[in-house]
Amino acid sequence: MFSFGTLLSGLSIGSILLLVALGLAIIYGTMGVINLAHGDFLMIGAYATWYLQKYWHMGLIATLPVVFIVGCIVGLVVEKTVVRYLYRRPLDTILATWGISILLEEAVNLGAGSNLKYVQLPGMLSGDWVLFGAHVGVYRILIIGIALALLIATSVLFFRTDFGLKVRAVVSNPETAEGHGVNSGLIYAATFAYGSGLAAFAGALVAPIKSVSPTMGIHYIVDAFLVVVVGGVGSLLGLFVSAGIIGEMESIIGFAIDDTTAKVIIFLAVIAIIRFRPQGLFVSKVRQPS
Amino acid sequence: MTTTGKRTLLGYVAFCGLILVLPFLLRGNSYLLNKSALYMALAMATVALSFTWGYAGILNLGQAVSFGIGAYAMAMHLKLVASAGNPGGLPDFMTWNSVGTLPLVWTPFHSLLVSVILGIGVSVLVSTLIGWFIFRARISGVFVAIITLALLVVVNLVVVTEQGLTAGWNGITNLADVTVGGVDIGSYGFGFYYLVGITLVVVLLLGWYATRTKTGLVLRAINSNTQRARYLGYDVAAYETFAYASSAGVAAIAGMYYAVGNSFASPTFMAVPFSLSIVIWCAVGGRRSLIAAAIGALVVNAIQGALSSDLLDVSNLVIGALFVIIVLFLPEGIVPEIGGAFRRIWTSLVGYSGARPHTPKERMPGQGTSKFTGGQK
Repeated sequence: MFSFGTLLSGLSIGSILLLVALGLAIIYGTMGVINLAHGDFLMIGAYATWYLQKYWHMGLIATLPVVFIVGCIVGLVVEKTVVRYLYRRPLDTILATWGISILLEEAVNLGAGSNLKYVQLPGMLSGDWVLFGAHVGVYRILIIGIALALLIATSVLFFRTDFGLKVRAVVSNPETAEGHGVNSGLIYAATFAYGSGLAAFAGALVAPIKSVSPTMGIHYIVDAFLVVVVGGVGSLLGLFVSAGIIGEMESIIGFAIDDTTAKVIIFLAVIAIIRFRPQGLFVSKVRQPS
Repeated sequence: MTTTGKRTLLGYVAFCGLILVLPFLLRGNSYLLNKSALYMALAMATVALSFTWGYAGILNLGQAVSFGIGAYAMAMHLKLVASAGNPGGLPDFMTWNSVGTLPLVWTPFHSLLVSVILGIGVSVLVSTLIGWFIFRARISGVFVAIITLALLVVVNLVVVTEQGLTAGWNGITNLADVTVGGVDIGSYGFGFYYLVGITLVVVLLLGWYATRTKTGLVLRAINSNTQRARYLGYDVAAYETFAYASSAGVAAIAGMYYAVGNSFASPTFMAVPFSLSIVIWCAVGGRRSLIAAAIGALVVNAIQGALSSDLLDVSNLVIGALFVIIVLFLPEGIVPEIGGAFRRIWTSLVGYSGARPHTPKERMPGQGTSKFTGGQK
């Protein structure tokens, strides 16, 4: 019923979800902010790719670092102007970031028009490889590779660097961390910018395989939320596994029945999972949202 | 009854009185009557949200699920009435989608009464099931918001995909008028306006009563400290499920009126932007008061209606910016702020010595300590 190609397609869907969910989870885990505009950072990443390709004639791979930086800057602006005033009001962050989401979508709508945009895939990436008797898009393999590399880079950043140590100190106790000379405001801003950059990066990666529109973000963000809910907030491994599972379910059920049924089954499965593991599958201690 | 209670009741009476006299202020202009009725239907859904969100602390981002179920239940009935002349009584879009006979799920909708019961019943049932699952698992705060948002997206997707049953993206259009006992209620006259208006008044008064009962008190207790409410022996999940499901029932009724007033039901009624708009109206008006939520819905819709006829392009920008500003600077909403400002002016003018210190908590109906005994009688 399904082939190696379906499995790999699921992995590439999961990889994009992982990148989006990674940013969401980092931002939520560090500062308790639910960022509904996260999908719009992805959308901005996709538009930035389109813009750079169309007007600056840059290749897809060359745009990736630029798009990441664009995402970081947009995230930084949003953090500095709105989000940082809401760190003690987690539910209000949902509302404010939705307002930002409307603003970003309208701004892009007015600036670039509401018609769909298309991003070219470079010739060398648009081919197929034959692996285990199945035709597999080279680009899908590239997406999986890049997502894995970013996951590793992120875990190194948070668990092996001085910056990561400071982030974890601020997460476990902001006052004590500040007492030791950590500038928590700076840490929050940098973390938010990094998470936004990841979303924009994911947007650049999906731009050639999906049509680019102002409202494209919402589909990714809801799935990414489900990944975070299943994987748990405090665990990168949890995110990795749950993004893989949800991506595979989407691909396999979508292939065997249809995409809508896949979404319904995933949603019901997530509801069932959190009924018994509210803290997520891979987190041992409950993180109480304050 | 306390002074705050009296003042709140006075606010309700004034608001309900305004609803009743508005048609005469509009001089019976049928376009404005229809618009006002539609806005009141939206206000009803917003009041229902403020009951779950403001009082029980459940941020339901999927309020439009129930609203949409109600709208579709009503639209299915009215479509069947409008299609009575077609071969087999089959709605036109089914023929276009090559559906040969009326699907089984459509058959109960020949009757208006059954459609109304199904619209409310299905919403209540769905939210009871979902609520039971998530609240039993002690899911709270932002995770409730995420789950309800995901529910919304899934339901919307199903409605869009099942074209033969729901007409997909186009929605169910060209509906008949509602006739009750041989009387055509229409959607542009006094009849429809007062039907919606009186329902809104009833919903407000019932809601006001509910917030003053012991159940209302327990819901507020859960909102302010869930853990303590649980230690006191209250079945928190049961109360939360009750709030969530009853709110869904009211939202379904609002959806029915909205479908009647618009003469169509479309997937946009259960789309993410619409559902979050309900949250916006509630937050703008003031989530902790049913009536403030209603005013928020009416005011924002009136403004948006006026803006979008002139400035279609920037109206969303204005709404988005307005919302961010209100969340940042007026987190309790505009109505309590205006109320507080009036009270300050009144106090400074009259020197009313009985006024208590002005704190944010005092401004919310049902949040003062004096209310603690008020609900228990």
